[in-house]
Amino acid sequence: MSIDRPKLAAVVTTYFKYSHAENIIDRFLYGYGWKGTHYRPPMDVVALYVDQVGKGDLSHSRPEQFPFLRIYPTIAEALTLGGSKLAVDGVVVVGEHGNYPRNEKGQTQYPRWEFFQQIISVFKDSQRSVPMFNDKHLSWNWDWAKRMVDISREMGFAYMAGSSLPVTWRIPSVEMPLGTRLHEALCVGYGGVDSYDFHGLETIQCMVERRAGGETGVKWLQAYRGEKFWDALREGLWSRRLMEAALCRSHTLTPAREGFNDILPTDDDLRRLVNDPIAYHYEHNDGLVCTMILLNGLVKDFNFAADVEGRREPFSTQMYLPMPDGRTTLADFFNPLVNNMEKMFLTGKPTYPVERTLLTTGLVAAGVESLYRQQERCETPHLAITYQPTRESTFMRA
Amino acid sequence: MLTRREFLQTGAAAAGLLLSGADAPPKRLAIIATIYRYLSHAQHIGDRFLIGYPYAGAWHKPDIKVVSLYVDQKPDGDLSGERAREFGFQVYPTIADALCCGGKELAVDAVLIVAEHGDYPRNEKGQILYPRYEFFQQCAEVFRRSGRSVPVYNDKHLSYSFTKAKSMVETSRRLRFPMLGGSSLPVTFRLPELELPLGCEIEEALMIGEGGSDPMDFHALEGLQCMVERRGHGETGVKAVQLIEDDAVWKAGEEGRWSKDLLISALSRSDTPLGTDEAEGKPEDLVSSGQLPKLVANPAAYFIEYRDGLKATLLMLNGALKDFNFAARLKGAPAIQATQFLLTPNPNVTYSACLVHGIEQMFQTSVAPYPIERTLLVSGILESCLTSKVQNHQRLETPYLSVAYQPPAHTTFCRT
Repeated sequence: MSIDRPKLAAVVTTYFKYSHAENIIDRFLYGYGWKGTHYRPPMDVVALYVDQVGKGDLSHSRPEQFPFLRIYPTIAEALTLGGSKLAVDGVVVVGEHGNYPRNEKGQTQYPRWEFFQQIISVFKDSQRSVPMFNDKHLSWNWDWAKRMVDISREMGFAYMAGSSLPVTWRIPSVEMPLGTRLHEALCVGYGGVDSYDFHGLETIQCMVERRAGGETGVKWLQAYRGEKFWDALREGLWSRRLMEAALCRSHTLTPAREGFNDILPTDDDLRRLVNDPIAYHYEHNDGLVCTMILLNGLVKDFNFAADVEGRREPFSTQMYLPMPDGRTTLADFFNPLVNNMEKMFLTGKPTYPVERTLLTTGLVAAGVESLYRQQERCETPHLAITYQPTRESTFMRA
Repeated sequence: MLTRREFLQTGAAAAGLLLSGADAPPKRLAIIATIYRYLSHAQHIGDRFLIGYPYAGAWHKPDIKVVSLYVDQKPDGDLSGERAREFGFQVYPTIADALCCGGKELAVDAVLIVAEHGDYPRNEKGQILYPRYEFFQQCAEVFRRSGRSVPVYNDKHLSYSFTKAKSMVETSRRLRFPMLGGSSLPVTFRLPELELPLGCEIEEALMIGEGGSDPMDFHALEGLQCMVERRGHGETGVKAVQLIEDDAVWKAGEEGRWSKDLLISALSRSDTPLGTDEAEGKPEDLVSSGQLPKLVANPAAYFIEYRDGLKATLLMLNGALKDFNFAARLKGAPAIQATQFLLTPNPNVTYSACLVHGIEQMFQTSVAPYPIERTLLVSGILESCLTSKVQNHQRLETPYLSVAYQPPAHTTFCRT
């Protein structure tokens, strides 16, 4: 370990095979496939805090393989390497997976806010801050998420967050050109509420934020589930053409008819195959309407489609997750996520704005809230979040 | 990155291509298959002409009407009769009947031959004796008799025998019909979208894959060939091949007969490496750590010496990975170029939609999107490698593989 290499602390909920912490921290430790080689990040995770050490824990074996890594019993000790002052150059927070309570709205109360509080307490005591990455949404609680971003600004440290979806391979490998005029956008994905809905929302947001004028925030959101979803689909609340374009990007359509391996489902097929359909339908402050759709039972991937001014056909792509659910052995969509973190730790500058994830965090919370309130429309004046996208593309394509 | 104008044009161009021939009646297609059972090649390729397929973000329905089907075997699960009833065509008892729709003269505009899967014997080299040559000759006989020929697609390699494969290509030239063959690997999505520049100088190339012989090694060899054919002044053919197995593969690596750097690079594109400990999912460098040989049960190296001096290797690494990845070192390029040929999951196998798009293009335009010589050469490379295998893994001179051709000027893999 060279003295020039930045030192990182990792603060995680739990560390088992394919947990987000394992996927992310192991990539810092073992390296990963990047630009056609097995690449090793030019930095070292030297301190690890694991909130829950349960069955299948792998964290205990990592210091044996990487002698520069130590596990600490508290977050403060991890950040100070057992001393009294901040002793690392960056912090990776992975508050996903583990056994945490669910509230009455169905949100898992991962302690991302609590971890954040303890981290900034060390920053304050040390009168020094370092860049921080927060995996997935900032918090299940909107007010806390907002505070996290505000505090990062007040204290002046680089802060990044979010999902792998915006940075993974796209099939085909396309980017939304900056300044595009968009009429409508949607994503068809899979997974649950307060979990993969976030990935679907980040899929949409990383594309639509590049539209003319940049991001303006979201005015309102309404969730549709079960029968209300089918009604909304029938009434054409979102574009059928775009939904079909998204489905045509999927590689995992459940065959709607026996004996056929790849067939476009009819409406009747959809009803039969999808048990619990969910849509978050929302309007941005500049009028753009987007819909995040979860079709469990039909697809196992995330597909984006948009109606773009001046283009006859929908613009569409799949955000490709080589998912180790039997399809692969490595969740390599974490490669570009880790690579973007590294860039922030090296330069002190986020590679994409945390406001994207602040907005999607708020959209997840609003979706959960709308479902909780019998799918009523939720006004979201607090989501008037404006920001400009990065000029450069940040997704994996080389 | 696309400019805004190119971005807007791309969608229109993709849409325009698929609208060709809108005023003409649909082309009539005969499907000649070994079997038509769920997830057989004939089913997943043939069905796309019946119900359409996803392409460029839309469900594309070919302007082609399947009018006849011949199946050589009807195993349990046979779908031929069911499809014929639903889509209004006939299953005929002979290939000639299928091509003539029961009449005496050729009565179709295109022929799709899918002779993969089914119960056929293997020879001493382990090759399954699929009757591709025999099917093809029967089609050609109808063409000859009718004084008219139509485009033919032949799935996978042309034949287990290079002599037969060569005769098929000669027949297509003599009777003047366009012919396309081969695997989905050259046309499927690539991660990343790597295309070697035309005329590049390749110092060394490596492909890694897995699976049995001779289904999967053919796919891997064609993936390799579609990359290296873009070098220099085009393909020159193959001078010699050798297939070695087991410990000799690792020894050859130590001796530099294949490049460890290229292997590290190709493996870095894999999403399916099996680690040293199945309980862990960690991303390791299995080459530098020396762990790779412990994972592979029966490694095989296929060495290909081209007539212009290029040396390429296919490593079949069963037990180490489950996908197909390519790496090459180009003269003057600072880094190794590597990509994964994405085989999308069962049952959709959307990679075959990429293949069907090329087949449909040929049926509609009578121009093959890429040369049949590629598939001819790969058919010969595979047979010769398997001959080397049964001849004590000896190096085999292959003067008969002097198959020269030019690669397509345009990219033909799926990227829209």
